[in-house]
Amino acid sequence: MESLGERLPKRGILGSLKALAAPTRGGRWGQLAVVGATAAAFLLVGTLVSDRLPFGRHEGPLLLGAAPAAATKSVASQSSAENGVLFILPALNARVVSVVGSFSEWEPVPLSDDDGDGVWTTQIPLPPGRYEYAFIIDGRWWGQDPSADEYVRSFGEYSSVRYVGGGGDGA
Amino acid sequence: MRRCRPMALVVALACVAALGIAAAAVTLDDFGRVLAAIPIVNEARAMAAFELGLKSSCCGFPVNETYRLLERLAAVSGSAADKEAIVLAITQAIEQGIPVDSLLNKAFEGLARAVPLAPLGQLLELRLQLLLESRDLFYSRGIFRASPGAAVAAGAMALPPSQFDGLLSNFADALGDYHESGRSPFEAQQIYDEVHERLTQLSGTVLTASDVDLVFSRIELADLTQVVLAALR
Repeated sequence: MESLGERLPKRGILGSLKALAAPTRGGRWGQLAVVGATAAAFLLVGTLVSDRLPFGRHEGPLLLGAAPAAATKSVASQSSAENGVLFILPALNARVVSVVGSFSEWEPVPLSDDDGDGVWTTQIPLPPGRYEYAFIIDGRWWGQDPSADEYVRSFGEYSSVRYVGGGGDGA
Repeated sequence: MRRCRPMALVVALACVAALGIAAAAVTLDDFGRVLAAIPIVNEARAMAAFELGLKSSCCGFPVNETYRLLERLAAVSGSAADKEAIVLAITQAIEQGIPVDSLLNKAFEGLARAVPLAPLGQLLELRLQLLLESRDLFYSRGIFRASPGAAVAAGAMALPPSQFDGLLSNFADALGDYHESGRSPFEAQQIYDEVHERLTQLSGTVLTASDVDLVFSRIELADLTQVVLAALR
């Protein structure tokens, strides 16, 4: 018995492309698929390179793709309070990063990026309590630390909050 | 630039050393000098308050932090009247026996953010009113601050000063944060949730769990709206 597949006309690559361009229902779906895939590819490439372009105005720090991993690392590190609370911020292309907060009378404490991977860190010994803080990246305040326990608005700007030694993950 | 950890350590050690020197040195004369540098009209009143603060430094008054705030205030540019409003908010808190830590923190933050001095003074005044109204609420519900040195019987509602101050400070601070986020004082449940969250997070560390339970067993939703509205008057 002859199967259905054997009864269909056999197409080469050129035939398939012609079918896409043909004004049939199947051809229109194929065209949509090609256009959609192209758009998705451009979107993906654009997203990947946007942070590395030398122009454009960024409202916040240039977050690396590894930001969630860094935040996880931060939370994990905070559990060992003996060495202090770890403040960590992925900020690609930043030149100077510091943290200010209620623990330092809002005076800057510098973060360092020893290996140059764009992840800036510092460890500050803090007794149990609630601490409000913000990062300063090349002179710009950034009050929404992804690893904060909560956020508050002060003077119309956000500050991050971390609880150390209690129910929060600060320690 | 990125390899700044040794430099950061040196800077941190220098700051600690500087703070240590300042801690040993602050006297009433120092307060007098820094007030003269601002300068303020009600200097005598402020000096009396700082003298009171120095006498009660054993009981938690942050002498050095207060002095450093005045130093920073003297160093920034702005009208003397606006600076005086900030000093008077601190002065009034000391006079009233209210903990000043949260006021100092907000003042330091405002100066660091280069907030204009006039709105900073207004914000401190509101925070002060929230502290006073919160204390009145505590008192009206039978939660008191014990006199320094007095024995506190088990089960009594007169809390040791440091515990009472910590509780009051965080309670009023949570109300202040809520208000400054721009939300309505009539959303009592939201206010309650935020205050509850704050005190619960600190319960067992900087606050005593039984004190937190005591507050929530005696305070109702509507009380919080009343406190915020009274402070705004």
